[in-house]
Amino acid sequence: MEICIVSPFKRVFLKGEKGRDKKAQEKTTERRALHTFSLSLPDHRIDPDILLNDYIEKEVKYLGQLTSVPGYLNPSSRTEVLQLIDNARKSHQLAGQLTSEQDAVVSLSAYNVKLVWRDGEDIILRVPIHDIAAVSYIRDDSLHLVVLKTAQEAGVSPCPSTCPDLSKSMTLGSLSESGAVLVEVCCLLVLAVDNKAAAEELCLLLSQVFQIVYTESTIDFLDRAIFDGATTPTRHLSLYSDDSSSKVDVKEAFEAEASTFSFQGSLEAGDNSPSPSSTPASPQTKTASEGELSTTATELLQDYMTTLRTKLSSHEIQQFATLLHEYRNGASIHEFCINLRQLYGDSRKFLLLGLRPFIPEKDSQHFENFLETIGVKDGRGIITDSFGRYRRTASSASDSTTNGNGAVRGDGDVGGSDERLAPSEGDEWDRMISDISNDIEALGVSMDQEGVTP
Amino acid sequence: MTMEEMRIETETNSMVSMTLYAVMYPVFNEVMCAERENPGLTQDIIMKILEKKNVQINYTESLLRMAADDVEEFLVDRPEQEFQDLNDKARALKNILSKIPDEINDRVRFLQTIKDIASAIKELLDTVNNVFKKYQYQNRRALEHQKKEFVKYSKSFSDTLKTYFKDGKAINVFISANRLIHQTNLILQTFKTVI
Repeated sequence: MEICIVSPFKRVFLKGEKGRDKKAQEKTTERRALHTFSLSLPDHRIDPDILLNDYIEKEVKYLGQLTSVPGYLNPSSRTEVLQLIDNARKSHQLAGQLTSEQDAVVSLSAYNVKLVWRDGEDIILRVPIHDIAAVSYIRDDSLHLVVLKTAQEAGVSPCPSTCPDLSKSMTLGSLSESGAVLVEVCCLLVLAVDNKAAAEELCLLLSQVFQIVYTESTIDFLDRAIFDGATTPTRHLSLYSDDSSSKVDVKEAFEAEASTFSFQGSLEAGDNSPSPSSTPASPQTKTASEGELSTTATELLQDYMTTLRTKLSSHEIQQFATLLHEYRNGASIHEFCINLRQLYGDSRKFLLLGLRPFIPEKDSQHFENFLETIGVKDGRGIITDSFGRYRRTASSASDSTTNGNGAVRGDGDVGGSDERLAPSEGDEWDRMISDISNDIEALGVSMDQEGVTP
Repeated sequence: MTMEEMRIETETNSMVSMTLYAVMYPVFNEVMCAERENPGLTQDIIMKILEKKNVQINYTESLLRMAADDVEEFLVDRPEQEFQDLNDKARALKNILSKIPDEINDRVRFLQTIKDIASAIKELLDTVNNVFKKYQYQNRRALEHQKKEFVKYSKSFSDTLKTYFKDGKAINVFISANRLIHQTNLILQTFKTVI
């Protein structure tokens, strides 16, 4: 007779296992449906509007995020990437065994990649699209990895002496004060999916996001280049003259529509974008100064305020008005510039260009220098790649070597050294700027009253 | 007498080239006059010839590819640096625009081309502004009007690109690029006439 003895521990263990399986099953059935769409094969095309105005979710497993990875890592090199991942899994920086505990949801839109846990929906991380440098798919036996190379906030990190690629880092990095070699670093976000089809789908979706984002950014760059070239004053703003030969050259043919400047309004300003759907109210310029300003100067004012309305939320417009008010009441041009830069952020710093005609003579040099340091002078630095860099290329199709910086800027633009405001004109400027400040504050209030939500 | 000398003598004394200046030059002149009176006449003639010969080409695209060439009529013949810059910047812009048919099917390259176009437009406008600042003309209005027209067509080009990225119809981009090239030529022509 066979006696079958079942270990009591085994009984408990098995009971526990069954219990966990049951719970896992219950979890799976409890999980919400993903927000997803059918994609056109074979390239998994999705309607761009979904990425712009909606989002799409895919199930993944989140293995973890590696930080301080040398920036020169080649995302196309299977060996390099797998070596990093293997080392990280050995040192438990990344998950070893894949279980339901790593289940996550990646939410994809034209703004960011968001990762949340499948159960509980707690957010793991969010990566803005402009921070993504590359996406790789690596098949490692039965494991299908999708790896995102992203920017790291710190940007630079000392390379440890044990770094195997020290020689590389020495050529690419720079020495810190302590003598340690500094290298640009990045992060690797490591995900796993069920199969090759899922991996390719995720990669192609991200590729479409990049296409949308960088296409719109490129068109935006074109618009701003046209705007800047069209609005460059041929002379200092004329406050009194009605002589056509001294009128400011304006962009009368360049309609300041909301769609001209905005990438659907929301993309550049992130979640705080103003809705461009409402028709801008006519700006209330003060009549006393209007009679003395040339028509074109008034138009410039109106255009700028219209632009602000399309680019800033009502709260931001009020902040702008406050900064302008402080500037007019004695704050330094330096403070004004720094605060504005902070308000506009990187994606809207080009708005500073539009202020050029309104900066008084005495501060214009500082303002121009500031524009140059932040890279918006002459339209440079407006479009950036995922690491915030843009270089105008010496295209073989173009004869241009430099932009108009040397040729035009500083030679007689607004605030140029050869044109000075008379004292009475300086008072006129003060009044004009105060008027702008009041009008903008009123604009912000009126937007609140209209119930326009950013 | 060497072969080369014989060739030169033959060419110099040959009557065959007489047809060019005796027959064709007057024809060209007449066509130019007729075009001024009836804009679009030349295009109609070309289209009819192509139709007759059953030549299957995209006329708009071909026109764009050929439009970068310098045309004597549209070059400002002043020695000052500003005017030479004007010619150079206009040429650069036309060159890049004429490359659109080669780049439009590769998104990455096309985006780079658009960036180059943006820079070229900006540089041309900066150069125009530079000339405005430096020289005061009687007929400034005509120059300013032409500049505004150029800006208008640049804006239209940008709008066309936005539409293209939605509907994929390249022909509209070619048409808009041709118009922008034409406006570039008109800027040069206006400067040439006014100064």
